[in-house]
Amino acid sequence: MAIDEETSRGFLREMLRIRAFEDEIKTRFQEGEIPGFVHLDYGHEGTHVGMSQAMRDDDWLAVGGARLVGQYVAKGVPLGEVMAELYGKRGGSNKGYGGQMHVSDVDRKLYGHAATIGSGQNPAVGLAFAEEMKGTDNVAVTTIGDGGTSRGSFHTALVFASYWDLPVVFVIENNQWAISTPSSALSPDNLSDYGIPHKMPNESIDGSDVERVYETVSEAIERARNGEGPSVVESRVARLGPHFEGDKQTYRDETEFEEERALKDPVENYRERLLADGVVTEEELDDMLEAIHEEVQEAVEFARDSPDPDPETAYENVYRTPLYGQGEGS
Amino acid sequence: MTREITYIEAIAEALGEELERDDDVVLFGEDVEEFGGNFGETAGLHERFGSDRVRNTPLSEIGIAGMALGAAVGGIRPVAELQFADFAATAGDEVFNQIPKQPYVSGGRLSAPLTIFAPSGAGIGAGAQHSQSVHSWIGNVPGWVVVTATTPYDAKGLLKSSIRDDNPVFFLPHKMLSETKGEVPDEEYTLPLGESAVEREGEDVTVVATQVMFHRAKEAAADLDLDVELVNPRTFAPLDTDTIAESVEKTGHLVVVDETVERYGTQGYIANEIVENNFFSLDGPPKTIGVKDVPIPVSPVLEQEVLPSVERIKAGIESVF
Ligand SMILES: Cc1ncc(C[n+]2csc(CCOP(=O)(O)OP(=O)(O)O)c2C)c(N)n1
Repeated sequence: MAIDEETSRGFLREMLRIRAFEDEIKTRFQEGEIPGFVHLDYGHEGTHVGMSQAMRDDDWLAVGGARLVGQYVAKGVPLGEVMAELYGKRGGSNKGYGGQMHVSDVDRKLYGHAATIGSGQNPAVGLAFAEEMKGTDNVAVTTIGDGGTSRGSFHTALVFASYWDLPVVFVIENNQWAISTPSSALSPDNLSDYGIPHKMPNESIDGSDVERVYETVSEAIERARNGEGPSVVESRVARLGPHFEGDKQTYRDETEFEEERALKDPVENYRERLLADGVVTEEELDDMLEAIHEEVQEAVEFARDSPDPDPETAYENVYRTPLYGQGEGS
Repeated sequence: MTREITYIEAIAEALGEELERDDDVVLFGEDVEEFGGNFGETAGLHERFGSDRVRNTPLSEIGIAGMALGAAVGGIRPVAELQFADFAATAGDEVFNQIPKQPYVSGGRLSAPLTIFAPSGAGIGAGAQHSQSVHSWIGNVPGWVVVTATTPYDAKGLLKSSIRDDNPVFFLPHKMLSETKGEVPDEEYTLPLGESAVEREGEDVTVVATQVMFHRAKEAAADLDLDVELVNPRTFAPLDTDTIAESVEKTGHLVVVDETVERYGTQGYIANEIVENNFFSLDGPPKTIGVKDVPIPVSPVLEQEVLPSVERIKAGIESVF
């Protein structure tokens, strides 16, 4: 699959956007502006971007794993809305109810993450089923971490997807760690092997290479769209940061970590590659970064200026009313 | 002699002492080894007791809870950790249908002396799936002993007892209390399960509360011109209603504050026990205060709105007069 220069520049821009946005989130969290805990995506940018660029706008993304923000951004949620949601403000995508773990946006076909890791895969199969019932050729792509694959819910989702031959692509972002537990302790050689007993096409790839992810997920989506059923893709990446901000990572070997940082940074690698190939110039890069910087600052301003939710709104949205038979709509 | 330690240190000490005391005690869960648990509750234990006794598991609560059941029936004493109490639901069948019922359906032939350790409660802006208080869910299934911890003293004494108890025990520390400090004896001690504690004596009104709500009720009491008696149930199931009834006998008024949602929450159960059995001790209707019937939102403004505040507790206490 040949990737033209315009597309390549787009990949790089998206990855740089995620990186810059998350750097800012990190600082805002350290300054105490963001409540709760924050999980960042360092090392996952290539897989998030490659995967989402392979999708059409009307394909569903059901977000899993614990690396979330980059996926929301890649699916097209404006930075200001994501940032305001992290702040718990009214201007957030979920008006402050959901926070980092639950950004969802039905209009953009983004199904929010389940804070219980691995609870998003069966709903993803259901989303694919709904599309099929409605007669569209849209697909559902769902992500999960290596850790999440240990849950029965993940395996059940594979059983169901293959039982009804539904248009789902399972992307396993294996960053080799579930908090402190290494994926090397799990027995499959590749986590995509979990697709084998279900006779699903499965492939393990270098997920820090954005083009490789784009190609592989595009093929899987193509099959799903053509009625050829589900696939499993293992996207191998390095977790180039802590599990969450504040995790001291005492369980991690420092030398190995530094090596990974030097070798597996998807953003740095792609930038160097495009520069070396003459696809971008330093000047174009500077312009790109400047525009991104501006967008990120605007997102911060938007979040800061957005009002706190009115306390009374805490009681809204639990139910849709009136209930059936109580007037309107019945 | 006593010393001041934090709640989480008290928990780590309890775990360490019980692992030391009884070779059958085994601790497992996600990230309990070098990482030391999400709140530092297992820090240093893997180093001290090694991989046989302190073990990481893959990410699956079904595995954690279900294995604990088998291991307990098979003769060891597992302490199985869920990183957040909310995740009890991801092992729903094990937690609601299997563990609490096995001793009963076996006609008493099996015992399941296991402890599930699961931090609960709201306050850190972690959202609807990381902030619930689940003692009303768990307490609803007969067979579980449900224990909460309000102070470092409680945390240590009750956790040690939970591990030694021959029933399945669901032990619920509150994540917002992790760094709170309190006096804990130097020498070893345990606290009885199934007994409420009168933590502050008073003549005018009985306030029943645990965990963060206990601390808020204490603050409310200090602000009021009323002589408040504070009762900490410590164990939600089985519930020691005698101590609460005795207190109401003395004060004539009852307020129950808890972090479970008001609809079908523990507050209603406790109040009902007193109304049904000690109606004539009451000088007026009891008052129940809990989380309004909504999931816990992320925004700090919304989160504090739905949790009972010191002000709401004060108003609730005043409302019974
Ligand atoms: C059901 C469930 N169990 C445990 C947790 C706590 N937890 C949050 S992230 C995480 C590790 C996830 O690892 P992985 O699936 O590999 O995703 P990664 O963090 O590496 O992106 C754990 C154990 C959770 N959120 N949900």
